Amino acid sequence: MPAPLRDPANRVSRRAITLWLLEALIGFLLLVGGAALVASWIDGSGWSWVPSWLSGNIWWLPGVIAVVELPFVVIEPLWRYAVHRWELSGDVVYARSGWFSRQWVFIPVSRIQTVDKEQGWFERLLGLATVEIRTASYAGSSSIKGLDVGVAARLAEDLAHRAHELRDDAT
Amino acid sequence: MTEDSGAPAEPGAGPPGVWGSGAVAVAPSRLSPLVLLIDPVRMLPSLLLPLVGVLFVGGFSPSSFFWAMLAIVGSVGYAAVRWATFTFQIVGDRLELTRSLVSRSVRTIPLERIRGVDVTTPPLHRLFNLAVIRIDTGASGGAKQEGELDGVPLPEAERLRHILLRRSQDARHEEHAETAGAGSASSGARTPTSTAVDERVYVRVPWYWLLYGPLSGAFLLTPFALLGGAIGLAFQWGSEFGLSERVAITVGEWLWNRPILLVLAGLLLVMAMPVAGGVMYAVFNWNFTLRRRGSSLVAERGLVTRRSVALEHRRIRGYEIAQGLLERRARVARLWAIVTGLGDSRTRGQLLPVVPRDFAMKVAAEAIGPLDAGLRPHPPQARQRRLFRAVAPGVAVAVAAVLLGWPWIGVLALVVAALGVPLGLDRYRSLGHAYDGARLSVRSGSLPRSQAVVERRAVVGWTVRQTWFQRRSGVLTVIAGVGAGSGGYAAIDTGEDQGVRFAAEVTPEWLAPFIAGS
Repeated sequence: MPAPLRDPANRVSRRAITLWLLEALIGFLLLVGGAALVASWIDGSGWSWVPSWLSGNIWWLPGVIAVVELPFVVIEPLWRYAVHRWELSGDVVYARSGWFSRQWVFIPVSRIQTVDKEQGWFERLLGLATVEIRTASYAGSSSIKGLDVGVAARLAEDLAHRAHELRDDAT
Repeated sequence: MTEDSGAPAEPGAGPPGVWGSGAVAVAPSRLSPLVLLIDPVRMLPSLLLPLVGVLFVGGFSPSSFFWAMLAIVGSVGYAAVRWATFTFQIVGDRLELTRSLVSRSVRTIPLERIRGVDVTTPPLHRLFNLAVIRIDTGASGGAKQEGELDGVPLPEAERLRHILLRRSQDARHEEHAETAGAGSASSGARTPTSTAVDERVYVRVPWYWLLYGPLSGAFLLTPFALLGGAIGLAFQWGSEFGLSERVAITVGEWLWNRPILLVLAGLLLVMAMPVAGGVMYAVFNWNFTLRRRGSSLVAERGLVTRRSVALEHRRIRGYEIAQGLLERRARVARLWAIVTGLGDSRTRGQLLPVVPRDFAMKVAAEAIGPLDAGLRPHPPQARQRRLFRAVAPGVAVAVAAVLLGWPWIGVLALVVAALGVPLGLDRYRSLGHAYDGARLSVRSGSLPRSQAVVERRAVVGWTVRQTWFQRRSGVLTVIAGVGAGSGGYAAIDTGEDQGVRFAAEVTPEWLAPFIAGS
């Protein structure tokens, strides 16, 4: 990690890899399906402004996209698992996320407005949950994905409790 | 939050202490009855068309006149009933707006939620010395969440604003001083504006600075907007006067066959741009004054509609200075306040129109607070990235155009790419960040360049972003999360070490534990 920031202490759950794999697969299917639609549309339209070398070989488009995209379906979940980490220490939430691009978030517990624990469809299947932390600003808000349900519940509760305590101190 | 609920406390039975008079219980106030003179005039345009229709269809017979009269009387009556059934009142620590037209609805605005109070005087209102008060609660639900009192006598409006803001600051002990000056409390009585408030005028913008207006580019499209409005109106009203699409097409064809006329009209419009834009700008920003009244900053402006916006001082978190390209040439700038919970901050938070930049900085330092640190430049990799991003789209389009066999578009795209070189360099020169121990500042952009100065205590968190390309260049973007203004202010493409140290410098207790090797 070139940026002078140490890794947050905790990894997300290993099952998050499955979650990201499922999401990537759905994205892959949508993308290839969309490309196939575009190809059939251009193929059937007979537009004169489309160069003939393009309209003649338009059915290569979904194929090329599938071949280029397929490795990423496998790479993204593994890469994300290596990057996604979180930590709560010194009353600051420190989380890292992303894969190609990454993002570090620092949220002091004293500025937290709401903490939500959410579960999507797949997450419920896999026993995972997302903790959403919101402050008054989008740039001070974060969601930690792919946590084990138990861990997420405990984190959400700790945060809500501690935020309440700190706010009482402040007034 | 505000709410529309069923039946609350009886009117008049609320706790005492309404309109600043210490211990007297006061009946709910009404808007000035003079609004009844304004309402029908305002409804006229929407009534005119149906009325004209009725008269034409009915052939000016007595019965059609009767129906037209009925419509007018009905609308006036409706306005009167609306007026009679609307009351407002400060009860304890909240403002209640009660409307009992069909069902009784009460909108309750807790005074502590009030972020700002606008007093505007549209032309008709000014005729009767009335004002519209808009109460901003900072609710994100849009205009519906806010309170509006349309038609309060102007002195009363000023006093009301003062009371609302004062109350919302929880400064009850000062209330007694106010009581002496404020006197009677019914809305009809014109009590003079309280003079007990300490007031200080920061700026009264001289009229000749209005000449800078067209540089901002605002209102430059006025002639086109006017023309578009006229054409729209012609189409809307045309059918009433026997104009049809066929006529419009004939006129269009006639013009098309006389291109000289078209070119002349176009030239006229373009020439009218700075003039009309300047006039509009002057009308909106006439006699712009910025003053401190009590604990609020009050910006007042406008020739026809006089608009006055009060921003509570303790909610102001900083300011933003913006300059377009032309404005930078002329060394002028615009100034906004960054205020927590103020929707539409670019219009409402405006502190100064286009004025010389040094002057704007001086006013900002005086009215809000100075920034005593120079901007630190970003690393040379940031310059390469700005250049690449400004030039690459043009080059890409040029290559694609050449491949597709459209040489002219390719040449055009190359010209655009060449223009990207000075743009990219300038965008790099704009980048910078600073921290002086109390306020942090970031600057970016070129065609509009804007610099934000934000108090340290307003920061609620940090986001550090690094795309794959940024990682290869060894730069990253640091965004300070702020619960005001646009929500986040970014230092774009700082060095990796530089950016993280910047955040750690502003809030060391949050970041220090996570910095490697410290």
